[in-house]
Amino acid sequence: MADQTQSTPLDLRAIAPHLLLPLAIIGVVVFFAALQPAMISGGNVVNIMKQSSLFFFVAAAQLVVIITRGFDLSVGANVSLVSVVSSMVMTSLLPGLGVEIGVFAGVCTGLAIGAALGAINGVLVAYARINPFVVTLATMSIFTGIATTISGGFPIFNLPEGFSFALNQMTVLLLPIPLIIAGAVAWGLHVMLTRTVHGRVLYVLGDSNEVAHVGGRRVREHLFFAYVTSGILAAIAGLLMTAQTGSGEPNLGTSLVLSSIAAAVIGGASLRGGTGTISAPIYGALLITCLSIGMNLQQINGSLQPVVIGAILIFGAALDAYRTRGR
Amino acid sequence: MAEHMIEPDAALASGHPAHKAGETLIELRDLDKSYGAFKALQGMQFELRAGEVHVLFGENGAGKSTLIQIICGVQGFDSGSYRLFNEPVSVMTPALAHDKGVSIVFQEFSLIPEMTVEENLFLGHEMVQGMRLAKTEMRRKVHAVLDRLGFALDPRARVRTLRRAHQQMVEIAKALLWDCRVLILDEPTASLTDQEAAQLFDIIEQLRADGLGIVYVSHRMPEISRLADRVTVLRDGKYIDTVQMAETSEKELVQLMTGRTFDEFFPQITRSAGDTLMQFEGVTLQRGMAHDLSFKVRRGEVLGFAGLAGCGKSEVLRAAFGLEALASGEITCGGTRLDRHSPRKALGNRICYFPSDRATEGLAMSQNLISNSTVAALDDNRFSWRGMLLKRPAERSFTQDIVEKLKIRTPGLNARADQLSGGNKQKLMIARGLSREFDIFLFDEPTVGVDIQAKLEIYDVIKTLTEAGKAVVIASSELAEVMHMSHRVIVMREGAIVGELDGDEVTEQALLSHFFAHEEPAAQTAGEVN
Repeated sequence: MADQTQSTPLDLRAIAPHLLLPLAIIGVVVFFAALQPAMISGGNVVNIMKQSSLFFFVAAAQLVVIITRGFDLSVGANVSLVSVVSSMVMTSLLPGLGVEIGVFAGVCTGLAIGAALGAINGVLVAYARINPFVVTLATMSIFTGIATTISGGFPIFNLPEGFSFALNQMTVLLLPIPLIIAGAVAWGLHVMLTRTVHGRVLYVLGDSNEVAHVGGRRVREHLFFAYVTSGILAAIAGLLMTAQTGSGEPNLGTSLVLSSIAAAVIGGASLRGGTGTISAPIYGALLITCLSIGMNLQQINGSLQPVVIGAILIFGAALDAYRTRGR
Repeated sequence: MAEHMIEPDAALASGHPAHKAGETLIELRDLDKSYGAFKALQGMQFELRAGEVHVLFGENGAGKSTLIQIICGVQGFDSGSYRLFNEPVSVMTPALAHDKGVSIVFQEFSLIPEMTVEENLFLGHEMVQGMRLAKTEMRRKVHAVLDRLGFALDPRARVRTLRRAHQQMVEIAKALLWDCRVLILDEPTASLTDQEAAQLFDIIEQLRADGLGIVYVSHRMPEISRLADRVTVLRDGKYIDTVQMAETSEKELVQLMTGRTFDEFFPQITRSAGDTLMQFEGVTLQRGMAHDLSFKVRRGEVLGFAGLAGCGKSEVLRAAFGLEALASGEITCGGTRLDRHSPRKALGNRICYFPSDRATEGLAMSQNLISNSTVAALDDNRFSWRGMLLKRPAERSFTQDIVEKLKIRTPGLNARADQLSGGNKQKLMIARGLSREFDIFLFDEPTVGVDIQAKLEIYDVIKTLTEAGKAVVIASSELAEVMHMSHRVIVMREGAIVGELDGDEVTEQALLSHFFAHEEPAAQTAGEVN
């Protein structure tokens, strides 16, 4: 049976899934560039990099919980609440404490809120054992309601320019700062998922809670921290998006729920849990951002975009069903 | 006979054999099938006649599954000939096989738990009248088939509520609902108790008398000797021989299968009972599956738990590993009381447990071999720095070692657990016991659904552990296994310990007399013992 353990040097069927998404992304860019050369203009390329970096964080937030066979419908609400509260903190501290401290406090508050919202989801899913769909559907409503209430429904203006500069306009070695942050976080997440005990356990418990439990893993703790991680990632998205908009927006994340799931799933994470790597939110974010920017350039009606996102989600889920057929 | 398509009622109502006994139903000649460079089948020969039970016998990975999948059209074949009902087959699909009357009962059940028996039976083949489901007609047919098989099942019961044995009956009823001439059973008794299996054998014998051709995949000797007319032996994807059951012996079959002589099936394990490592005192479980348990687990010996399925022996092991909550009593390990017991605490106390249900508790099926082999030892210094960062090279080399040591057949270390066959899955799970230092090993049904070769290898692991001074506890529904492997046997009935036998007292007669409260040991049960 020696030949069984030998792997064939070039197995196209094994490589094909890894090539599919990069090819699809290139295909989308080429398609829109053919219709509208502005697609590959310098300015637009920077735009694509920035947008997909922002979007990467919500897709990654989704990935971490999808691995555990859950998902997080509250990422968008988290983004909105973080945007509103961190903006309020910054504008109120600015006159007294100056730009640096004000921005720093705003960012820390944003991250802390993200972690807290994730912890609420985590407690309810991991310790109270409530279905993640129900939990995050409810917290989505709650967080959105709080964001709207404390902001009175209006955007919060007069954010310090230093904030927008530091988290959006700055470039390092010609690369926009959101891309740098996304790269660093992606690397960190990759290390967490593949090289830490926590990451390993997330995959195992996503496959089967019982197996992880019988294997002596602290299932509830790991599950809890997956939701906290997801909350923090969503908060980073909230801060970066606020820096881009230049104001705290109570409905900043409304459209992100479905598209974040779509990005993670089309990127290769399975809703059955237990699979998905860091490449899923990266490819997913790039694909959806390129499509969306391309459609904007073509001046396709903005109302059609949700149609495309929905179709992508179904297509991604169908691909997943195809991959795991017979299992 | 090609026009003889779906005509279920004729066959059901009359009960007449569709074929004369002895007529050839399936004929495979020189069949080859490869997956890439891996030759799954080479020069396979197989013939099935009407009115016979033809057993496929071989180790894991010998090609039995590939063969039955080719017969029922799930897999294609590369070369050779396949004749079904005397007609050459070039392309076979599952739907075509079903239409022609080839039905298969898979090892893994294909029933939908939330649907009723009736709905499951017609799943995908619903009968319609115009646009509506022909419910009356379907109900009538269900009754006909259940009556024919003598199953007392409520067609409206949800499958989820049925016991495994009854689910198996639904599977068989599903196969026989339509005119069926070839029935393929893939290890049908894997999850049945002895009595349930005996009932299944009666049905199989009845179907054989009706003139069906039955392909039966199993590696359990007692049922092979009871049922088989002919046995085809496979080894490493190659056809070895087809023998008449009447003219062969268990010894010869195992020799054909393994290619080596059959000496002693069960190993001789040297007993050197030492200190008590674990003690149960008056333990009663919250779920009420077992009560008033008191016993000791000692180093250097194998303690067996015997009893009928559902007697509570598995729950005892689960309690020892912290998977069952105690209502009263206490479990001590190494002199300390195990309060707030959990698997994590058990592992910390050097207790290792191998669940009987590999699929739900044992292995993370879509994770790779490495994840599965080290999952219980991730906070050990061997595989991580302070339980945080993984030592991946150590994990990889450990997994490589156990793959070689336990002879796990796998496409590679990164293969998913569900790509392995039953015996190899079991070995992968057992690998966990070698991932860190343990003193107590709890085996719940260590060889269920495992072929003979893997069984021998697992027994060898148990021997090595015991002789190295570890404490081994086995709970097994297979009487021969628990009898021959254990130095001391505790017999359970209805959740209570009813007897403890030591050394020479462990005999079949003594065990069986404890199994049953009032009745004499049933002859039929005794007959199933190797």
